[in-house]
Amino acid sequence: MRCFAALLVVGFALSGVSGAQAYHRFWATCNEDAPTFMTTMTRDAAQDYANAARYEGYQWGGGCWNYDDADSYPNDPPQVLGTHGEGGDCSGLTFKTWRESTDTWRDGRYYWRALRNVHGPYDAAAFRDGGGAPNHTVAKVTAGVMDAFASGTHIGMIFTRSLYGGDQIVEAKCEACGTNIFYRTYRGDSAYGGVGRWGWTG
Amino acid sequence: MRRPGFRSLAGGAAGIAAGVIGGVVLTSVSTAGSAALDSGPPLIDATHVPPALTVPGEPVRLRYGLICSPRPDGGPCDGSGTVYLRVGDAGPFDAYPLQRGEESKDGRYFLDVPPAVSESRDGFSYYAVLRDHATDATVSVPSGAAAAPDVSVPLHDPVTIALGRHEFGGVRTPDAETVHAPWGSGPGSVGLASSRELGFTGPSSFDVEPDGTVDVLDSVNGRIARWGRGGRRDVPLGASADLADFAAEPDGTFDVLDLHGTLHRYHGDGTAEWEQKLADRTWAKLERDASVLEQPSEQWMPVANAGSPLSRSAQKRVAHSAKRLANGHGLLVDRVGPGELRVAELRGNAPLRGWRITSETPLGEVQLAESHGNGVIVVTRAYVDDRDEFVVLVLGARGLVQRFSVASGSWTETAPLARFRLARGALYRLRTTDAGAAVDRFDLEVPQ
Repeated sequence: MRCFAALLVVGFALSGVSGAQAYHRFWATCNEDAPTFMTTMTRDAAQDYANAARYEGYQWGGGCWNYDDADSYPNDPPQVLGTHGEGGDCSGLTFKTWRESTDTWRDGRYYWRALRNVHGPYDAAAFRDGGGAPNHTVAKVTAGVMDAFASGTHIGMIFTRSLYGGDQIVEAKCEACGTNIFYRTYRGDSAYGGVGRWGWTG
Repeated sequence: MRRPGFRSLAGGAAGIAAGVIGGVVLTSVSTAGSAALDSGPPLIDATHVPPALTVPGEPVRLRYGLICSPRPDGGPCDGSGTVYLRVGDAGPFDAYPLQRGEESKDGRYFLDVPPAVSESRDGFSYYAVLRDHATDATVSVPSGAAAAPDVSVPLHDPVTIALGRHEFGGVRTPDAETVHAPWGSGPGSVGLASSRELGFTGPSSFDVEPDGTVDVLDSVNGRIARWGRGGRRDVPLGASADLADFAAEPDGTFDVLDLHGTLHRYHGDGTAEWEQKLADRTWAKLERDASVLEQPSEQWMPVANAGSPLSRSAQKRVAHSAKRLANGHGLLVDRVGPGELRVAELRGNAPLRGWRITSETPLGEVQLAESHGNGVIVVTRAYVDDRDEFVVLVLGARGLVQRFSVASGSWTETAPLARFRLARGALYRLRTTDAGAAVDRFDLEVPQ
């Protein structure tokens, strides 16, 4: 019994080593629920959705988070899908916020709950090029709330314009940055193009 | 040492197995517990772009966006709000209810400011309180509310400047490359990092001290690279500072504003002195004296006073709309529509003079706006969808004193408004290429 007890402690310790933690973890709490088809989609409801993902972290290729205002698994090695941590990446956050379908030919509105683990079929470059039925390019000068700016490697949505001519951008920026609202100058940066989502209803 | 028997070996194996299983189960339970918090505390936030500088006769509509916890039905917040408004910058506020519109692209909640207020020669000051009916949570914009309201100032008889269509390709060559460092982590170099998620990152900000010392925030290597008369000297900070902003203070300390909204004050040797969280959620620019342009308030918020950090509530109370200039005046900047920039120098909240600048080419962000001689220097960006350049404008009492373009290309991403600094009568630019980082100097004409 003494041996059992001692090695029970060892076992507990082993359960917490990084190997067990690394390929784990947060995704085990996510689900595969079907999205809810919706007839409406307003820009401020999209702001609500993206804003609620702030502080929930960043996961390369990810699209699943809760609403506890903390990244459950911060500081994962970047660009590793297999870390299965909390948060979306830039295109995953945009896909879910824009209520898109995993079928690129569908342009309807599909509401994904936060814990539904889905990234969607688009990377930043595909969004930049207006790929998929729900997406299109827009002139940057006309881009407004919850339109987006996308480059070959990143996409962020316009939370609102700002007084000094930049924009407050809601974006899943990087593993160390997490998901948040940052002041950015993507609008004037020729590396970025304007992107919009068809079908806003208000 | 006694040889272990079968029972003890079996017990040990069972112990390890039970421990591992128990640990994993407990981890899962713990994670599932946090995942179950799908409805946390009520979220509430707001957006608002103040009409900081108006033109007489121009109708003024205040627009607000209200952001709250996502609704299960996917709809927008059910909210309301009140604007507290007064003529000038003293006296009691009058309450006006916000209207709720059908569209949210520019903010769903709005108020058309009564002409008696919007046309006042003294301008007006105001704040708003918005409420989410689902949770009864409220938010004030700006966050200092009545203690630090937004101001809107009329531009009477501004100097008008028409820039016309921007000619891309005619950029000015710097008068000097003051410092240059190759990429690397060793002495004499500046760090470069790359990732698919961020692209390239390198030095994210810089400053130029009154004696000409150039300080580059070597973010990747976690240090300040200082080029002074004695050559280069590095000040280690002990941590990387991706995309952080930076200011060298007159007393020899350094400020680093990190991505997550914490201002770090360092002694001259790089040891930490204090750190303080910003009052608002988003920052745009760090200036000397630990003053930070923040959103959603769209105000300059002092984060320290006399060398000591201010509490977040104190930051909100002492925030101000105008940027403080070295001569004690204030400077208001307002980018309006696709191609208009309004600038006013103020004494208190009274305009001393103003400029109304229009451009046929869209204008992006204002990177820098400072007093310069008897005028003002502004660095903004002209852009079309596939090209952009910075435009430097030296504004004098009678109009444009100097104008030139500066290449905007950058190998790495920096803090958003950290590409330029004005010091010793010259304009300095942080530039990065595939070979390394440099700080260039552009000499300026001085408005009389």
